[in-house]
Amino acid sequence: MDARNPLRDPRDRRLPRVPDPCALVVFGVTGDLARKKLIPAIYDLGNRGLLPPGFVLLGFARRDWGDGDFEQVAREAAEAHSRTEFREDVWRRVADCIKFLPGSFDDDNAFDALDRTLDELEDSHGIGGNAAFYLSIPPVAFPVVLKQLARTGMADSSQRGGWRRVVVEKPFGHDLSSSKELNSLVDSVFGPTDVFRIDHYLGKETVQNLLALRFANTLFEPVWNSNYVDSVQITMAEDGGIEGRAAFYDSTGAARDVLQNHLLQLLALTAMEEPVSFDSEALRIEKHKILKAISLPEDIEASTVRGQYEQGWLAGARVHGYLDEKGIAADSTTESYAAVRLGVETRRWAGVPFYLRTGKRLPRRVTEIAVIFKRAPHLPFAKTDTTELGNNQLVVRVQPDEGVTLRFGSKAPGSAMEIREVSMDFLYGAAFTESSPEAYERLLLDVLLGDKTLFPDHEEVEASWTVIDPLEEFWQSRKPERYRAGEWGPRAADKMLARDGRTWRRP
Amino acid sequence: MTVTLWDTTGSDVLKALAAERRAGAMVASGLALTLVVTVDEKDVSAAEQAATIAAQAHPCRLIIVIRRQLDTADRLDAEVQVGGRLGPVEAVVMRMYGRLTLHSESVVLPLLAPDCPVLTWWHGPPPDEIATDPLGVLADRRVTDSALAPDPTAALRMRAEDFAPGDTDLAWTRTTPWRSLLASSFDGLGMTPGSARIAAEQGNASAALLAGWVARRLGIETVVEDSAGPGITEVEIDLRESEDGGNTGEAHSIRLSRPDGRLATFSRTGQPERQLPLLRRALGDLLAEELRRLDADEVYAESLEQATGVKGLSSRSSRRTHVWRDPALRAAAAT
Repeated sequence: MDARNPLRDPRDRRLPRVPDPCALVVFGVTGDLARKKLIPAIYDLGNRGLLPPGFVLLGFARRDWGDGDFEQVAREAAEAHSRTEFREDVWRRVADCIKFLPGSFDDDNAFDALDRTLDELEDSHGIGGNAAFYLSIPPVAFPVVLKQLARTGMADSSQRGGWRRVVVEKPFGHDLSSSKELNSLVDSVFGPTDVFRIDHYLGKETVQNLLALRFANTLFEPVWNSNYVDSVQITMAEDGGIEGRAAFYDSTGAARDVLQNHLLQLLALTAMEEPVSFDSEALRIEKHKILKAISLPEDIEASTVRGQYEQGWLAGARVHGYLDEKGIAADSTTESYAAVRLGVETRRWAGVPFYLRTGKRLPRRVTEIAVIFKRAPHLPFAKTDTTELGNNQLVVRVQPDEGVTLRFGSKAPGSAMEIREVSMDFLYGAAFTESSPEAYERLLLDVLLGDKTLFPDHEEVEASWTVIDPLEEFWQSRKPERYRAGEWGPRAADKMLARDGRTWRRP
Repeated sequence: MTVTLWDTTGSDVLKALAAERRAGAMVASGLALTLVVTVDEKDVSAAEQAATIAAQAHPCRLIIVIRRQLDTADRLDAEVQVGGRLGPVEAVVMRMYGRLTLHSESVVLPLLAPDCPVLTWWHGPPPDEIATDPLGVLADRRVTDSALAPDPTAALRMRAEDFAPGDTDLAWTRTTPWRSLLASSFDGLGMTPGSARIAAEQGNASAALLAGWVARRLGIETVVEDSAGPGITEVEIDLRESEDGGNTGEAHSIRLSRPDGRLATFSRTGQPERQLPLLRRALGDLLAEELRRLDADEVYAESLEQATGVKGLSSRSSRRTHVWRDPALRAAAAT
């Protein structure tokens, strides 16, 4: 934001951060993500008054559409999926600046037309040469589109008198070498500071709240280390299957799809040291340090579990097994569940296992980080008084019911001394129900503002692949364990923790 | 879940609230603040409605105090609700009669959520001197609404004279969307403002505050002109090229006009006009904005200073000491 703007004052917190005038170009605008997340997020931003006076949403896809057809599709998307109330006034204003350009990614003429359109918009809509390109397209199409942007010079901010940014969705490659290749391509076209990699988990309020919880309080940081922490469990469970993503999912699997990005990012935020400031560079340095300090188990076989769901019952309905899903080969060995035990080799975390698990067709959709504390070294009570006392836990619930739970022992009412576990709950929704912005809303706004705090950079992505690659290599020739849809993963995962004398928390 | 208590005492209200909380399993809920509303009987439903909208954004303990006639027997009627028709709040609506109306804090103090900030909102004319209302003295934040006064300009001046950090006025809250659009139109502008003109309904307190803000921030002359309304209808700022940016001598301006209270037109010399939604917001939305910040609003203090000419607002103490004033004695002295 322009520091010389006399109307802005850091003390004036009523005024929202509003981006510079700009255009948002979405490639693959007819896809699911664009309809369910991006367009509604743009409407919500407009509704909250967070779009700049000069703003244009430019859709690009291979459809024989005019501006009007696209507006109709966008309107339906916004009406169906927006978070805030749909208002005709606001929509009219958003609709005014919706444009569509038909074309395929290998068509030079279409990209020349896009370049011309952006130039014209500078005069007609006052976007001032600023544009963000959102690649909502399959990874195989990245190189084609990036080369087109490079060829036309659209990606070069120095030529255009404004900023040019690019937004890429995961997966950022499928192993270390492919991700390096992709990173160097996109970084060379746009310049590393203008590349925004979206990991939508990082846009969730609770993830940001984790940083507030750790670094704004005195209460938690003193016990946030191996002296007090027994282990950490990070879970991301989904009740859904692989709906419509069979081809992609079968070539990817749970570890590459979720573990490599979301879970390792959550681990990094949980384990990192305090950044010297809250800017994106300082945060990136600390996360990167942790990702590089992650150690793999010596015995991969005993400390990791892969699973594949079989048919079963989930939420009162019968669901297919993974191998029976449409588009999955009968002999597929792709995992739909992965659990691993990792270590973090720093003074703070030496010896504390980090258990990460993710899976599809688990009993419910939940993402949480559970910090499990050691038991008190001495209990002055009779053994029978504390049989129901477990470890103290601090659980950060990322979704749903965003919030924090603290579990500790308390005396059960009555004449006998009997200690039981109780939960103290902080529900984000209850203290601040202002329905928190959708992750995409927040992240899109950050892209337009140029704030990279919540976006992993290429070093982090590459460090994550360094963790995953050896696991994938080990798993390659092996068959995954089986679990029934609707269970909390394969038995082997329970045994894996039992060997360490621990159990999985039921989220 | 609603419990109604007729001719009751403060302790019974407290007990009823505790019982309702237990029954509603809200014992460990994350209360972040207490909102105290003082309102006249005729405006109760408007205030309740606004508080319900605000509470959706900021769950709070809501205490509504309705002070009825003074010259009658002392009496307290109360209604306790947890998660009922007033949304996700613990609400206590109390009607006070007789001398109790002068000592409402004796009932309210024990009802405040422990160690949470307190915000008192007068939906109606506030006292000339807030220190004479104990419900204002116990609050960390005080919200008035000068637009409701018969003479908003005089009311604003009174607010400036009585100001303490932590005070705000809904007339100021109403300017936020205007200020937000004006601020973003100045981003990367690179021109020097010359003078400003604001058009609004006659005697509009928001327009005076907006003019105060523009004049203070930009250091330029700002005039307020009367228009047919509703509310603020237009802001125009003349611009000159910056001294280092060459001198084309062209007249340049930014204009934001909203004749219908809904849709604004933004125009800037040399650029096409643009339509922007600029809705007059409901009372509940205004209140929700106030609940969002619980510290003193220094920018408001500066703008109020500029608008009224009363000086030194920011350096005043944020603590108020109760000043006892008995309306019965004053009434007797007057006759």
